[in-house]
Amino acid sequence: MTFETLTLLVPELALFALAVVVLLIGAVRSSAYVGRGPLAEVSRGPAGWTTLLGLGATFILTFTVREGASLLDGAFVQDSLALFAKRLFLASAAISLLGSLTLRTGAFSRRSAEYHFALVASLLGMSVVASARELVLLFVGFELMSIPLFLMTGFLKREAVVPEAALKFFLVGTASSAMIVYGMSFVYGVAGSTMLSDIPPPLRDGPPLLMLGMAILLAGLGFKIAAFPFHMWAPDTYEAASPPFVAWLSVAPKAAGFVVIIRLYLAGVGTAALVWTPVIAVLAGMTMVTGNLMAIPQRNIKRLLAYSGIAHIGYMLVGLAALSSSGVAMMLFYLVAYTFGNMGAFLVVQAVAQSEQSDGIDAYRGLAQRSPLLALAMLLFLLSLGGIPFVAGFWAKLYVFWAAVERGMYGLVFLGAVLTVVALYYYLLVARRMYIDAPERPEPVQVPGLLGVAIVACVIGVVGMGLYPAPWVTLAQRVASTLFS
Amino acid sequence: MMAGDGTLALAALLLHATAFLVLAIAAPLRRLGRPAAYVSILCAAGSLAAAVLSWRAHTGEAISRLVWTWLPSEGQTLATVGVLADADSTVMLTLVALVALLVQVYSLGYLSDERAPSLGRYYAYQSLFAFSMMGLVLAPNFVQLFICWELVGLCSYLLIGFWYERPAAARAALKAFWITKTGDVGLLIGIVLIWRHTGTFDLTEMRVLAGNGAIPLAGLSVMTFCIYLGAVGKSAQFPLHIWLPDAMEGPTPVSALIHAATMVTAGVYLLHRTDWLFALTPDVLAIVVWVGAFTALLSAVLACVQNDIKRVLAYSTISQLSYMMAAIGAGFSGAGFLHLLTHGVFKALLFLGAGAIIHAVHSNDLPDMGRLARRMPQTAIVFTVGALSLAGLPLFAGFLSKEEILGAVLAGGFAAPFAMLVLVAFLTAFYMFRVVFLAFFAAPPAGHAGAAAASGAPHVADASHHASHGAAAHEPHEPPSSMLLPLWVLALLSVATGVFFTVVHPEPEFESPAWLMPVGVGSAVAGILLAWATYQRRAIDAASLAAAFGPIYRGALARFWIDAVFERAYRLALLGFSRLVGWIDRYLVDGVLNVLSAWTVQAGDDLRTMQTGRVQDYVYGIAVGLLVLLLWVQFN
Repeated sequence: MTFETLTLLVPELALFALAVVVLLIGAVRSSAYVGRGPLAEVSRGPAGWTTLLGLGATFILTFTVREGASLLDGAFVQDSLALFAKRLFLASAAISLLGSLTLRTGAFSRRSAEYHFALVASLLGMSVVASARELVLLFVGFELMSIPLFLMTGFLKREAVVPEAALKFFLVGTASSAMIVYGMSFVYGVAGSTMLSDIPPPLRDGPPLLMLGMAILLAGLGFKIAAFPFHMWAPDTYEAASPPFVAWLSVAPKAAGFVVIIRLYLAGVGTAALVWTPVIAVLAGMTMVTGNLMAIPQRNIKRLLAYSGIAHIGYMLVGLAALSSSGVAMMLFYLVAYTFGNMGAFLVVQAVAQSEQSDGIDAYRGLAQRSPLLALAMLLFLLSLGGIPFVAGFWAKLYVFWAAVERGMYGLVFLGAVLTVVALYYYLLVARRMYIDAPERPEPVQVPGLLGVAIVACVIGVVGMGLYPAPWVTLAQRVASTLFS
Repeated sequence: MMAGDGTLALAALLLHATAFLVLAIAAPLRRLGRPAAYVSILCAAGSLAAAVLSWRAHTGEAISRLVWTWLPSEGQTLATVGVLADADSTVMLTLVALVALLVQVYSLGYLSDERAPSLGRYYAYQSLFAFSMMGLVLAPNFVQLFICWELVGLCSYLLIGFWYERPAAARAALKAFWITKTGDVGLLIGIVLIWRHTGTFDLTEMRVLAGNGAIPLAGLSVMTFCIYLGAVGKSAQFPLHIWLPDAMEGPTPVSALIHAATMVTAGVYLLHRTDWLFALTPDVLAIVVWVGAFTALLSAVLACVQNDIKRVLAYSTISQLSYMMAAIGAGFSGAGFLHLLTHGVFKALLFLGAGAIIHAVHSNDLPDMGRLARRMPQTAIVFTVGALSLAGLPLFAGFLSKEEILGAVLAGGFAAPFAMLVLVAFLTAFYMFRVVFLAFFAAPPAGHAGAAAASGAPHVADASHHASHGAAAHEPHEPPSSMLLPLWVLALLSVATGVFFTVVHPEPEFESPAWLMPVGVGSAVAGILLAWATYQRRAIDAASLAAAFGPIYRGALARFWIDAVFERAYRLALLGFSRLVGWIDRYLVDGVLNVLSAWTVQAGDDLRTMQTGRVQDYVYGIAVGLLVLLLWVQFN
């Protein structure tokens, strides 16, 4: 372990140190918990605040890492894709944390350290996944990422529905982990090595066993990104867990899954990987159809957003199916746009849920009259998710479709465009509740300060990307071009 | 160095954007009214300073481009945003900044009776307009130009319909919107065609291509004609000119800024900005000259018979815009652009002066005025200065630019349009001094005992608005200083530019005969004399003068039936077509879509049964998916 090795691992080491510190805070605090009075606000916070600061510091530290460096004979790389993904994980975790710091439920105060330790541990797992170019490391990263997520889903165990959802998530997740490791064993059997660089590209004329292994792996990864037909865990999990956590869950683990798909199936293979195009295209199409259609009958906003999130995964898969540098770039751009829009929407859900004690779409009746700014923010998020010009989602969809058209995938783009209209229907259904229906109660929805900060950050992201997408597009293109050179 | 790189031009633009954002986001500030106005005026003042400095830094051939990639695409840039500052765009920027500032100051007095929240709304729109107009002026490419083009159209709509409780204002706003939109469709098509043709939206790149002769000429005429259509709508050329007189339903300061000095000149500016492109298609330029000369004559005739002072000015604006268009069509766009600048100053002056009159007498109608020079001498002086500038007498602003336009059209070889424009010069002086004499010097006609009578039956936007604050008759008086100051600034500017150009008299880029200036000035003086003899001395009876031009007079009163034809066409063709489309839409398209959407919703419901909530089924789903995937990969 030379000093240079350490500097390459700075983000991971920082996260590890942060996890230890948070755990220690928990050990000290649990004995000294003060439950009431004005000090309670502060006293329940140290784990959360430490985590928030730590995430900020780690985010800054990612910029000190020399881009493109690798460790352990190339098993662990800090290339631009890895760093891009890590920054996305950290930023989304920080936004989610701003939301969860304002949660009023007792469990978040009493066992605050546990929650934040799980969050940091999962982040560490994601960081490893984003950098791993070796199968075993990849699997370990996945497990480190997933297990804390199961814990966090079941964090509010007092409500009956929560442990059930967490258990379902755990069982299905375990099945997918089994598939990933099973697929990996085939790949290892053929290649005789676990290094990604030693694995022959999974092409049409490749060894059948290798193709078999890669297919099983793809099914396992399909679970991580919640693509059809591996998506069914998502709505139950989202419905049960706390909104700020769901905001993060709907973004970061999926980003990690996408990074691995890019590394395994697309990177460095170029157009030779055409065999995967129809597979990913069909997955994309089915995912878009299922997500969008099943969102229509939903009456619960979290389930609606869960299905809409599944649909968005479909759109991102369209970008991947293009199997080109621009396709990957536009998928990454889409990921960022989706991060801002989806997290923002879930944070508004948290504000309304705390005030109304309801996740029903009916709780949004007349929100525009009660809290005009909150309703405006929600409208912007919904419009971005729906793909309306001059908010982020429009460029994301346009660019993804563009990349697919360049590859002549007109059918898929047509399907996606038609489904965009379907999507607008259910997004605007919520907008109608907010803007046209009369409120049941006149008083405004209380938005805690930190939650407001997080929502404003998402609004800035959505509007900023919508008005001036250029920096994000160039960033995404730069990241993607390193993979295809 | 700062000034030379376009930063100042950008600052001028962004200051207005800041004012708009502050007023739009800080709703409590906006609802306060006057403080919101001060914020807006402060930004406008800063913007004017930046614009002037930027103008000084961009004389001659100096050009600076400050652009950012807006929509990158693989390997190249699809669209940029930024500023393209050169001599033309910065002087135009200065004009916009100046008139915007003066109008905002003037509005403080003019709209002093407005409720505070709507005053804040007014200033927010004003700032948004100034920002969009500057973005249009400085646009480095067609994409930004088009977006700003639409934004100024939106602001125009919002400000024409500012008193939206009045049905006439709401209707006029709508009319302006959909008629200019007709032209905008042409512009959009033209821009896309040009992009397909040349592969770029960027004006500078396109200009280089045009300079190298690298733009294929085949089909180019269609594209420039489409772009010209946009200008026809915005700059009120026949037959789309009919929206502008109705746009006078907006507050008078709005008319001064948007419908005289800046927005309506956007079409002229667009053609001037792309004159190297239009030079490649002389056939389209010929259309521009003829349409311009015809519109100028038509609207000058119409201006002679209007009784509403703002409508006289509106038709006069159409006529003057057509003057500029004619010069551009003749191939000398510099002359047209010069007239755009001088016209911007003195037409704003005339409109603001008319606003001062309306403010005082609570009526737009000339018969309700008369002998106002005694009560409001300062207004009379500045208004007369404006009228002399418009008539184009030496030592006043319009003198040189009008003469240059006449010379340009003649040098371009368009004899008949030239004759029409000389006639327009005569008519311009006549109708303008008809207003001056009737409003300020002549005795009011019997039965109109002065201003107060009007408040009984007001029928025009500003008048009824002002009448609303108290029907009590009172003597007309000079406007407050917040309104007088802008008037004097504009009047002094008109005289200063007029004197400067008369003394310096720069050589035009074309040869013009020696008899041109006497003809131009002579026809203007003749027009003034005829107006004096008719309306001041009453030596010629106005009624018999009208009778002498019987058919033309009656035609002009009916606006030559153009509005009626449009109305009829709108009723029959458009509404008929709409009904047909509506029927198809309701019974065929909707039917199909209803079935489709019912199926979609049904499919969503059916798919729900897949989501049983049982974890076993979830794992089955995964297993089935995996199986299909395996089979596919193995047998594909």
